[in-house]
Amino acid sequence: MSKSAFTGPLERIDPCCVRIPSWYKQGMRVPGLLFVDENLLDQCRKDNAPDQVANVACLPGIQKASIAMPDIHWGYGFCIGGVAATDPEEGGVICPGGIGYDINCGVRLVRTNLTLDEVKPRMRELVKALFQQIPTGAGQSGSFVFTEKELKELMARGASYCVGRGWGVSHDLEVTESNGCIPDAEPDYVSDRAISRGKDQCGTLGSGNHFLEVQVVDHVFDPEVGKVFGLELGQIVVLIHSGSRGLGYQVCEDYLVLFRDMPKKYGFEIPDRQLASAPANSPEGRRYIGAMRAAANFGFCNRQLLMHQARQVFAKIFQRSWQDLGMSMLYDVAHNIAKLEEHSVDGVKKKLWVHRKGATRAFPAGHPEVPEVYRSVGQPVIIPGDMGRASWVLVGLPGSMERSFGTTCHGAGRAMSRTAAVARASGEKVVKELEARGVIAMSQSKRGLAEEQPQAYKNVDEVVEVVHGAGLSARVARLRPLGVIKG
Amino acid sequence: MYEFLEHTADLGLRAFAPSLAELFSEMGHCLMAALLDNPSEIHARQRFRLEITGTNPEDLLFDFLREVLYRFESEKFLSNRFEVQLHPQGLTADIHGESFDPARHVLSHEVKAITYHELRVVQEGSQWLAEVIVDI
Repeated sequence: MSKSAFTGPLERIDPCCVRIPSWYKQGMRVPGLLFVDENLLDQCRKDNAPDQVANVACLPGIQKASIAMPDIHWGYGFCIGGVAATDPEEGGVICPGGIGYDINCGVRLVRTNLTLDEVKPRMRELVKALFQQIPTGAGQSGSFVFTEKELKELMARGASYCVGRGWGVSHDLEVTESNGCIPDAEPDYVSDRAISRGKDQCGTLGSGNHFLEVQVVDHVFDPEVGKVFGLELGQIVVLIHSGSRGLGYQVCEDYLVLFRDMPKKYGFEIPDRQLASAPANSPEGRRYIGAMRAAANFGFCNRQLLMHQARQVFAKIFQRSWQDLGMSMLYDVAHNIAKLEEHSVDGVKKKLWVHRKGATRAFPAGHPEVPEVYRSVGQPVIIPGDMGRASWVLVGLPGSMERSFGTTCHGAGRAMSRTAAVARASGEKVVKELEARGVIAMSQSKRGLAEEQPQAYKNVDEVVEVVHGAGLSARVARLRPLGVIKG
Repeated sequence: MYEFLEHTADLGLRAFAPSLAELFSEMGHCLMAALLDNPSEIHARQRFRLEITGTNPEDLLFDFLREVLYRFESEKFLSNRFEVQLHPQGLTADIHGESFDPARHVLSHEVKAITYHELRVVQEGSQWLAEVIVDI
């Protein structure tokens, strides 16, 4: 299944963007737009991901363009890094593949008032304590177990449910995308199977590329915005990357099965079964949307409980309350989700279903959905990189509204397959290589660590350069990892 | 016979077998090898019966694998023997195995889901071939 290189047309529009013309493939309703520079273009040609951008351009009701971010790589159905907006008034579809199995996979960044000098001597102890407290790895149960009734309330109310039970404070909600609750979630449309997978998984990290990292701010590019975000050089922060766990995976699967026959029922064609979709305004489409929103709310709660546990560990290790340690949240943002948002298409304002599959919302200054505390500068965007090099904090720019439905990249993007990464270096070797860089890593799975090694990813700095250059989001600060826990 | 396939972000499973029933069994083993570093440590202590209706071999394989995965996700049930019988209405499988034991079983990947992406079940000469990508 290794992919042949993409040989179709890629027309350069500017140094950061190329176009796949809509004549490339029969059925394309709009062109494809890829935000890549010359260097990343070569990489993204290699795994044929641009062909998936063209497939998405065939979805009914798609507006303007099928878009891909510079961290693009081959996915299933949608490429990773894909963005598509559909108009429900024009038969626009909702596509579970455009959201992914891990509904509301996302990132949360927590500040501290600790400095590198204070944390460095205790790093191993801290990472070990985090690893012991926070459940990681495949199918792990957490210490929070919910009844079906509680879980349904949690899915309806989102992160405010956790805050109500004392696992956080109201400020956490103010700085979470959609305040940690997507309205009109329908927990009753979430299957018994999904509920049974989710009942003991809220507050667990999971496996794959999910992680919790202790990082240090090692470069501030925009001190003014950095000040508004509460970031300064040498400061310790905590970055959490996880999603809706087994509950979300099951919701996606349930509806992909239900949607198998929708193209036939509603009379449209799709070029790949993994792009199974239903009109957003159809009964089936509305049902999926209700369940997807419920799973997204579970995702916000998962990251809320992960942060709660991290705060407890820091308090124990440093013998001060988390409030004393300044562990207030900077922001929480999803990168696998679809949301109904207002965007301008050819000068007309429309309510569109914006699908972000490995892509991050990046609203500019002044947008009403940016938390008040950040509204003068723009929405914080958190970009997890790999565990050896860096992660980034960016800020949304007006260019994102003009070019990419208010969206920017979501990470480094993989450059190497899992099997190739394992062949390059074993888990043990990766731990040693990371230690040489000053990073302490602990993982349940040595193989998982090998698969996720820094060399398996593109250089996140290059990805960020493209979205900065394209005017989608601007650099604020670069974060360097010090300690990593993984599944 | 089964093997893993290269895939940028996820993992591909591939199996070959002389019959469709054996192909399903091989794919079951391949899924276990994706979940566990030491699948040879799974012993047949319990069993359950799976009934799947349908005629399209690809849909049958998809449904078969997602049921096996669901048993692991919900009950931590690992399998080491898949006795698959195909019939005109679908398939019946007696699946043997045991519950996950952290003292003996070493987890490898968290398989989030079986995907339809490039799902293939085909007959090539005297061999059956299946390919499926699982989301990691």
